[in-house]
Amino acid sequence: MNHSKNAKNARARRFSLSLKSREILAAYAFLAPFMAFFLIFVVRAVVEAVRMSFYDWHILRPMRPYIGIDNYLELVNDSVWWISLQNTIVFTVLTVIGTTIVALAAAVAVTRPIRGQGFFRVLLYMPSLLSVGAVGLIWVWLLNTQFGIINYGLSFIGIRPVNWLGDPNLVIPSLSLTTIWWGFGFPMLIFIAGLQGIPEQLYEAARIDGGSDRDLFLYITLPLLRPTILFVTVTGVISHFQVYGQPFIMTTGGPGRSSYSLIFYLYQIAWTAFRMGYGAAVAVCIAVIMAVLTSVQFLVLSRRIEY
Amino acid sequence: MFKRLSLLLSLALLVAMLLLISMPMSSVAQDAEPTAIVGAFGGGETKISYWNGLTGSDGVTMNEMLAQFADENPEFEVTSEIIPWNTLYAKLQAAFVANQPPDLVLMHASEVPQFASFGVLMDLGPWYVGGGGWFDENDISSITYEGMQYQGVTYAIPLDNHGRGLWINTDMFEAAGIDTDPATVPTNYEDWVTLLQALTLDANGNNAADSSFDAENVVQWGYVVGEWPRVNFLSALAQHGGEMVSAEGQITVNSDAGMAALQQAVDLVYEYNVSPPPAGFDTWQGFASGSVAVIPTGTWFRNFAVDQTDINGTAWPQVQFGPQPATWFGIHAFMLPAMSTPEKAAAVQTLLQWISANQVTWAGSGQVPALLSAQAALDAENYPSNILLGQTFTDYGILDYQSTAVQEMYAALDPELDAALNNLKSVEDALNDAAERMQQVLDRAM
Repeated sequence: MNHSKNAKNARARRFSLSLKSREILAAYAFLAPFMAFFLIFVVRAVVEAVRMSFYDWHILRPMRPYIGIDNYLELVNDSVWWISLQNTIVFTVLTVIGTTIVALAAAVAVTRPIRGQGFFRVLLYMPSLLSVGAVGLIWVWLLNTQFGIINYGLSFIGIRPVNWLGDPNLVIPSLSLTTIWWGFGFPMLIFIAGLQGIPEQLYEAARIDGGSDRDLFLYITLPLLRPTILFVTVTGVISHFQVYGQPFIMTTGGPGRSSYSLIFYLYQIAWTAFRMGYGAAVAVCIAVIMAVLTSVQFLVLSRRIEY
Repeated sequence: MFKRLSLLLSLALLVAMLLLISMPMSSVAQDAEPTAIVGAFGGGETKISYWNGLTGSDGVTMNEMLAQFADENPEFEVTSEIIPWNTLYAKLQAAFVANQPPDLVLMHASEVPQFASFGVLMDLGPWYVGGGGWFDENDISSITYEGMQYQGVTYAIPLDNHGRGLWINTDMFEAAGIDTDPATVPTNYEDWVTLLQALTLDANGNNAADSSFDAENVVQWGYVVGEWPRVNFLSALAQHGGEMVSAEGQITVNSDAGMAALQQAVDLVYEYNVSPPPAGFDTWQGFASGSVAVIPTGTWFRNFAVDQTDINGTAWPQVQFGPQPATWFGIHAFMLPAMSTPEKAAAVQTLLQWISANQVTWAGSGQVPALLSAQAALDAENYPSNILLGQTFTDYGILDYQSTAVQEMYAALDPELDAALNNLKSVEDALNDAAERMQQVLDRAM
């Protein structure tokens, strides 16, 4: 009797283990297609880029000598790299801050129960649907010194034509303005979702306690939106640090090198000079910088997050 | 009230945006004939894929020629892709790596050394008369023939000479009492400054030589230094007896000749007030809108000036600021991948024979045919700019420096010229910085 019971339990255990194993196998089976693509097209490319950065690698040249860390040493002494890095940081800071503020303001505005709420949401989201080419060309004309509608408008209040894209002090803010207009739609949607997740009772309780709209925003909305703000700023930094299309289309990096961005410079190295090895070194450094920036953001903004 | 106002404002903004996007940007865009980016001509069995960077009105002319070729040769189908030059060169490299290049590509002669050094171009020497073929090397200028070669091997068939010259607004010249005859063109910097000052007007109608001239309120510019500054600089450098690279392999853009050439251009902006700074000023639109009297441009400007503006204009030779005349020019040239099959090469050869025999038609694009016989066949009534500028290329034209790394050197030079012309750097600093980076590039390439 006991023997038969033990055998039954053993079978049950085997069945249980087998089921668990099958679940694990099923999970890996579902993950396999993505992992295959990820390994082939991302991991392999990253590994290859790192390897390439140690070679004098020219795309069509058969000889690709190993040069150790020479590409990285050249990068440290490359003045254009440092100019591009500085421009990119300024652009990213301006754009991420601007986009976050505008997106949050727009989200708050279109979350209120107003007539035509859906229409306003669509209207504000529309620029995000445009390609960078269309956005760049539209804003080149809007900001044009001679024929631009913005300068035309400013002339009515006595302001002389402003050289938005030609003044080295204004070119990065102008590119940033363009990008904010283009890109605030998606973070606005994220903020709308975040706002809708805040329990209405909190606002009601605060109002009963005499809280003003400003108090409600500062002490309820903002603290509870911290995870959303973290997401928006982290994805914003990752996205805007890789800015390329706007300077390429609107300024070609000028005046001088005032609007060179890191990716713009990377493209020049890789696809104008065809120096893939040096380009790979630049790409690796950009990736490291972005990883550091993202980590710092997580450290700073993830404190006191209330999930 | 507030809601209604914001709704109205939003609607107004939306309508304004839609109008802005849909309206033509200027009279120029209104009349512009779109160039087909990808065009298929004919429907025959023999297929030729052809890439070029003719994004301007010259692309329209090329497509018309391909259509005519396909009509006359129904056994062919030519697929033409028009790609901006910089993108074309990048795409071409990737295509060679993937073993999928086009059957035929139109490039600049300055690209011959780079692509030839990779071993990806076909030796076209046998297509020349000297090699037993059909293309007569004696029917092109010696400088054009040299541009087709790299280390003694001929890799290309030239289509045209396209290069630098001026386009002038004749109405503005006449209003200023200046003769528009190209024979009267000034031959030194001082006379040019005088001419350009007379053509530069402020809102009160004073010209730039007038003591009461308001430099902050200019409505008509005599000149524009921002129109492709590199080739202006290379021309001026040669006019002062300089060169980009010395015979010893040293970058010499920062020589005395280089400093003088760039300083003269900078002075046109900040000393003589006859040109706006380059940044933020659209030179072509400036000419088209009647706010620029003299634009340093090229043969490719003809159809734009004639068909897409209302300006009465004519071509003039390149400005001469130094003691001797010189003007930059380039060559569009056909090249084939080294991996072409004999059948494909034969098909492409048929197409190139046809195009070469019809180079006079190509002059309709504004460019100067490469064949001297085609140049001689141009009539002065229909092709005045081709004839005038083509003669200057023959007489004193200069080509790009022949190097496998010339584009990388230009990538180092261009931002420095831009910085100097926009007063962000002194001429000396800009050219010294450019020379340092260009020397690194050249040393690496050697």
